[in-house]
Amino acid sequence: MKRFVAAGDVVVLKPNIGWDRAPQYAATTNPDVVGALAKLCYEAGAKKVRILDNPVNDARRCYRQSGIADAAATAGAEMVYMDGRKYRDVRLDGKALKSWPLYGEIFEADKVINVPVAKTHGLSGLTLGMKNWMGIMGGARFRVHQRLDESLVDLVRVIRPALTVLDAVRILTANGPTGGDLSDVKRLDTVVAGTDQVAVDSFGATLFGMKGSDIGSVRLAANAGLGVMDLSKLQIKKIGV
Amino acid sequence: MTLARTRRIVQGLFLALFLFLFIQTESKGTDELGWPVRLFLDVDPLIALTTSLASRRAEGLFWPALVLAGLTALLGRIFCGWVCPLGTLNNLAGGLRTTRPNPPGAGGFRVKYYVLLGLIGMSLFGVQLAGILDPISLTIRSLSLALYPAASIAATSLFDAICRLNLPLVTPASEAVYGLLQKTVLPFRQPWSAQGVFIGLTFLGLLALNLVQRRFWCRFLCPLGALLGLLSRRSVLRRSVSEECDSCGACVGVCQADAVPAGKDRWRASECLLCSNCDDACPKNAVSFGLMKGRPRGGLDLGRRKVMASIFAGAFAVPLLRISPLARPRMSDAKLIRPPGALAETTFLQSCVRCGECMKVCITGGLQPTLLEAGLEGLWTPVLVPRIGYCEFGCTLCGQVCPTGAIRKLPLERKQQERLGHAAIDRGRCLPFAHATPCIVCEEICPTPKKAIWLEQVAVKDRNGRPIRLQQPHVDLAACIGCGACEKHCPVVGQPAIYVTSAGESREEEHQILLQPPPAAPAK
Repeated sequence: MKRFVAAGDVVVLKPNIGWDRAPQYAATTNPDVVGALAKLCYEAGAKKVRILDNPVNDARRCYRQSGIADAAATAGAEMVYMDGRKYRDVRLDGKALKSWPLYGEIFEADKVINVPVAKTHGLSGLTLGMKNWMGIMGGARFRVHQRLDESLVDLVRVIRPALTVLDAVRILTANGPTGGDLSDVKRLDTVVAGTDQVAVDSFGATLFGMKGSDIGSVRLAANAGLGVMDLSKLQIKKIGV
Repeated sequence: MTLARTRRIVQGLFLALFLFLFIQTESKGTDELGWPVRLFLDVDPLIALTTSLASRRAEGLFWPALVLAGLTALLGRIFCGWVCPLGTLNNLAGGLRTTRPNPPGAGGFRVKYYVLLGLIGMSLFGVQLAGILDPISLTIRSLSLALYPAASIAATSLFDAICRLNLPLVTPASEAVYGLLQKTVLPFRQPWSAQGVFIGLTFLGLLALNLVQRRFWCRFLCPLGALLGLLSRRSVLRRSVSEECDSCGACVGVCQADAVPAGKDRWRASECLLCSNCDDACPKNAVSFGLMKGRPRGGLDLGRRKVMASIFAGAFAVPLLRISPLARPRMSDAKLIRPPGALAETTFLQSCVRCGECMKVCITGGLQPTLLEAGLEGLWTPVLVPRIGYCEFGCTLCGQVCPTGAIRKLPLERKQQERLGHAAIDRGRCLPFAHATPCIVCEEICPTPKKAIWLEQVAVKDRNGRPIRLQQPHVDLAACIGCGACEKHCPVVGQPAIYVTSAGESREEEHQILLQPPPAAPAK
């Protein structure tokens, strides 16, 4: 972790806490993964670890029911409820989005770590790391589904996390992104980490028996030179624990 | 310390308790509140009496009200004088009246008894409107739907303005105060209320009546006060005046009600709030309160004809109200979406006391007071307005706070299958149907484990004849519970492209659409 977090850093963790579901449903990032990351950040000398998301369901319920509030408390990290005043219009000059209100802390923090969970999604096929940035969007964010893949790439262009940690302890294989049925959940006990968010998503697709190129946002982001899609060009270390 | 000062402290403590429980009527992320937030409603005998009369249900829920009724029969209207939060607020508002008190009215205090009898007459024939005038219900409703949201918006605007000014020292200090208020008394999210102005002005108007006469509401109008007055006619805690009395009339002026119209001997047990003002004011120290046996002297003569007229007036209101088709199955307003666990409409209206607890606790703020959507009989009952807030899948709080069981307290698994209605798609507005534009928000958001909205892969053409592949949503009636999450988040602004109506709601047999509606899971 010392490679990614310097002493005195304010670190923002952005898990997927979008839904009011218990951890076993794999609709939200596994609290153990979030808690462990927060702990590692502190061990690496972080001054403060802040955990936030702009959930679709009620934030109080999402934070509690996902188990992430408890994990944060144990690790000494702070759960942040989004403050409506802290969104600011960010120029994106992208293909789909010209500018959009995004949560300021993401840009003010010294380091940002994206901690998505791997799930299916009706439109993007899968929701992995890049899709997780919808959780820092303000405004009428449900409009971006009209050009979702391009919008995500526009976001990725300006948001540069120090690290992306894709939680695949449990993955949701159907009825995503909300889930709610345990028979749709598959236990993989896997966590994918990388500095290249496109590569992490591309690898994430393989967990579902798909290829990175099957995911629109991965394909477009790789074409735009934002990361590597071709797994054969990557150095991938598999560590068994 | 005088008794009146002790009384003021007790009043303050009860008001503080009332407000504390009100603030606690809010989710903290779990499905429990941790406090008996409806305590004041639970002990209210007027709610207990009229609800059980109107709905012919008792269901063992009203015993706390019996405790207060018994206490009143024994000790008189101590609740009014020492406990009632609206009474205390009236006292506070009465402090604004600086001129000499009005002489007691001729017989105005009797009006509240006729109000009470009218309400009882109605409830005997199955209409429950007591909650409109019940002081506890009235106060919680006015706070929930008007004063609290207004206070919140005022605080937010103030602190936002200071924040924008970005002054040294001042802004950091105000932000710290704001943070503290947000953690303690301010709501987690700004509550919106469709009828805040109306309900709020009514409440402030009632308080303003103290300028005409102190405790105007308690003296002349309050039906709960009237009920407690009837119960307290034989109470043993009574006032006595010694021979020292020279009929100076000091007590007449300080009486908070019309209990001592002529000083010395005439004392109306039913009107006395036991505030002890007369005891403190007496220059001869001739007044005392104590336990006494036997029948009290001052009776309560309401006049037999007026009593009968009040009951008949209430009873006659019943058929008049019932002409409205809106309370009838299959004729009701399509957007009359009731909270999960609400009883069938007729019994629901007979049980709901419009206290606003459910609307206060609703986690998304979607529960709103009706105006005339359910007829005049349904005034200020809760209706889910999904565009404001949907019904949160994992939440059962409205059923937990309902004081009368008008919204049943369902176990979570059962509530998650309770249909409030069904969603329907407006293909003329839906982006994939009408505009060949991708959008799957309703499907994405749908919270049922097997999504009630499913997507069909289709090939359509745009205006240039270019083929486009996209997904069009459909509603599976067997899975849809009408929570309204889809309607809330539909990106088609204004009239949404997917919306919920009450058609198919579990609670109303005649509102089913399917020949074989999916059964709800048996309660565990």
